[in-house]
Amino acid sequence: MAVPQLLKDIIQVLLQLAPGASLVALVLAGIALRREGGTTFLIGGTFTKWMFWAVLFLTLVPLVGWFTSFGVATPLPSGGIGSSWLSSFQLDVSSFVTNFIVGRIVTTLAAFFVLRAILDTASGGHPLPSILAAMFLLGTQATYSLIQSYSTGTQFATADVLDSLWNYLAGTIMPIAAGLAIVGAIINFATHRPAMRLVAVALAMLCVTGIWKLVLSMEA
Amino acid sequence: MSFTNGFLHLTNWAGNVILPTLAGLFFAIAILKFARSESYGVAMYGGFLCLMASGLLRAMETFASQRAWNDPDVYWISLVTLVDWICNVLMPVYAGLQVAAGALRMGIVTRIHPAEGWMRHFVAAGLCLLLSGLVRLAEFFVVNGTGGVS
Repeated sequence: MAVPQLLKDIIQVLLQLAPGASLVALVLAGIALRREGGTTFLIGGTFTKWMFWAVLFLTLVPLVGWFTSFGVATPLPSGGIGSSWLSSFQLDVSSFVTNFIVGRIVTTLAAFFVLRAILDTASGGHPLPSILAAMFLLGTQATYSLIQSYSTGTQFATADVLDSLWNYLAGTIMPIAAGLAIVGAIINFATHRPAMRLVAVALAMLCVTGIWKLVLSMEA
Repeated sequence: MSFTNGFLHLTNWAGNVILPTLAGLFFAIAILKFARSESYGVAMYGGFLCLMASGLLRAMETFASQRAWNDPDVYWISLVTLVDWICNVLMPVYAGLQVAAGALRMGIVTRIHPAEGWMRHFVAAGLCLLLSGLVRLAEFFVVNGTGGVS
């Protein structure tokens, strides 16, 4: 029996809305990052959950390929959306996400986080968590493009993207964070607070892959 | 705008703009503490460290690149290199400072007594230069003590 055109269109709409959902998930991840600490995140926490969803939405089509390997036929409809009103709905939602949420709201949210950083400092807290969350939000579009560039398009695309994100964290973000850790160590030293921990952390941030290999060799 | 660029610029700003500015503040605090006969060492060294943030990061990068990036021993070797640098490079320099401080103090205080301040400076200088030997000595004692008391 042929699949009704309406059903095909609905599938197309949902698939084409996945990138928008991924962008929204990234925005929510940025907000969750601040809630969970800013300079750190919980494995299994809200930040990782939203990041996972962002990756999942972006690699949805390759992931569906698994069903074929299980023996379940999942023919994805090709071509555009037939129904004009569904097509219009998809365009409107995508435009809303791109122009309103990512284009405007994210910037405003980031500005609020900068304000929060100042207020955090005034109340005896640390400004860094809010500043990092603001930067994450401002970089939503770039992070989305980064995740997109990591997608291999195979059945393993989700795992490949997560692997690449780990490499990005370990190879790009952590060496920069080491610099920040040294800055923190110096400030701690000059203000009579423990500094050695941050020196050890700076070294660890520069050796993340080595530590990972160490754990692997211990497990073997 | 990307997170990497923002984070990199934040680190550069903190290390190369804010810390050198704070160095002046720490030196001022050191002078004020010195004037009140309070301990001013931490503020003074803090000021110097603020001016050396980039150099310290380069030093850490050098320590962390003694082995290949995927070598399981890279962190251990980094720590070993850090300890080696502190004990064999910084401590001898500190020994020189202690000798100079001892000589200055001896020029002011003429009494010869083991508890005098100048003596402490010279002993500290000697200990700084003997650091590796002291560790070897402690290791020797431990190795010889594994047999227990006979």
